[in-house]
Amino acid sequence: MHASLSFDQAPPISVPYRFFLVAPWFGVMAGILLAWSGSDAFVSRWTPEALALTHLIALGFMLQAMCGALFQFIPVAVGGNVWRPKLVANTVQPLLLLATLLLVAGFLFSRPGLLSAAVPFFLLALGGFVMVVALALWRTPATGMTLWAMRMAIGGLAVTVLLGSLLAEALAYGLAVPIVELTNVHLVWGLGGWALMLLAGVSYHVVPMFQLTKPYPLWFTRWFGPLLLLLLLAWSLRLFLDLSRWSMLVTLPLLAILSVYAGLTLWLQYTRRRKIHDATSLYFRVAMVSMLILAISGAAFVLWPALGADPRSVVWLGILAFAGVFVSAISGMMYKIVPFLNWLHLQRLGGPISAVPNMKKMIPAEAMTGQLRLHVLAVVLLLAAVWQPGLTRLAGLTLAASCAWLGWNLVGSVRRYQGFRDQIRAAA
Amino acid sequence: MNTIIDGRDMQPPEPMERTLEALDTLGEGDEVLLLLYCQPHPLFSILRQNGYTWSEESRADGTREIRIRKQLG
Repeated sequence: MHASLSFDQAPPISVPYRFFLVAPWFGVMAGILLAWSGSDAFVSRWTPEALALTHLIALGFMLQAMCGALFQFIPVAVGGNVWRPKLVANTVQPLLLLATLLLVAGFLFSRPGLLSAAVPFFLLALGGFVMVVALALWRTPATGMTLWAMRMAIGGLAVTVLLGSLLAEALAYGLAVPIVELTNVHLVWGLGGWALMLLAGVSYHVVPMFQLTKPYPLWFTRWFGPLLLLLLLAWSLRLFLDLSRWSMLVTLPLLAILSVYAGLTLWLQYTRRRKIHDATSLYFRVAMVSMLILAISGAAFVLWPALGADPRSVVWLGILAFAGVFVSAISGMMYKIVPFLNWLHLQRLGGPISAVPNMKKMIPAEAMTGQLRLHVLAVVLLLAAVWQPGLTRLAGLTLAASCAWLGWNLVGSVRRYQGFRDQIRAAA
Repeated sequence: MNTIIDGRDMQPPEPMERTLEALDTLGEGDEVLLLLYCQPHPLFSILRQNGYTWSEESRADGTREIRIRKQLG
């Protein structure tokens, strides 16, 4: 009977993979750029190198992987249907790629014209993506807090893109806007409203499912997203009001809810029913420990302004957020999603269940844990390089090597999929 | 004959593999009871397209009881 089973109209495997296979190579570019720039890159968050690095990771690594994951996650986790996923992915992904390269070149070579040139590509790519995904998320009959977090996250992406576009045009044409405040709001919506909101929503679903933990408590899933949204809106008031005196009233609760999310996830892992130490669980642990360190050091910078006044303090927080939290969590997720998709799409070929290899055969466990160790070393070196600039080149090379290894592992998994697919077809 | 699959301690896709195997031998009036902590949307799609019906109930501890049968007629 199984051979005749009809599988869902899930997007073709090429849809998420075209995003996933590109993402790690932006991490490689970031590492090489850092190694090439040397100790100047981390002097402050405003150096051309730091801005280019930030966007290589945020747009090249994170956004590519998160867009690819959403195409797959929406049908699998919340039962939604994305409109013509192949067409949308084939349009969005190259536009996003081009826009990212233009923006990064604009920052790196201080060419505002390139920043402005990137804007229409971003608006087209991400405007289309946001509309299609929002439609799928609103039309699904599913319920639950994962769905609500994803809806809020897609709104967060829209705000981030609009603010980023305004900033790029302001830099290109010298528009009279408060650049620093606008950048702070853009950054917090990108990391909090989009990336963290999506990570949390996905966590509610995948942490219990893949890491075999208890579910997140209901009080947490009900309140985390709305509270985060509220705090982001309060943070955004700085665009209109002088909040410098009570900024900590927003920042400290924001850092507190990060700690609760990270602490709770670590607690769920610690108390889980079956102890599994696969790369995904370990990567999530690295991400959550990084988030805790970020929250604690962020609070210290707010409470002791002399400490936070050093421009390197923000670079420290940025490394924890980008490399420590998001690159870790996303790498861990890709190590679970890619083998699962291989398995699911091999099932769709209609062969007997026994013909489809176990998910664990898609990427060797040693390759994943080896790459994870190198990534942890890269994060440690990056953090050390903030205070010991002599380590910057080594940190950059380690980051590049770890991302290249991730990319290689994913390519290997796709090759294995093709090999198994050909075997099943030949046997049929 | 009724089959119970407790997928709560299994890593995906093992619950789906076991369920598909159990469906192979499911007779008229038989039932597969699947226990999970999440809603298995990919499995629901397969069931919908292959003539199965299912019902869902939630327990207080977050467990979902999914009862699968062949569609009548």
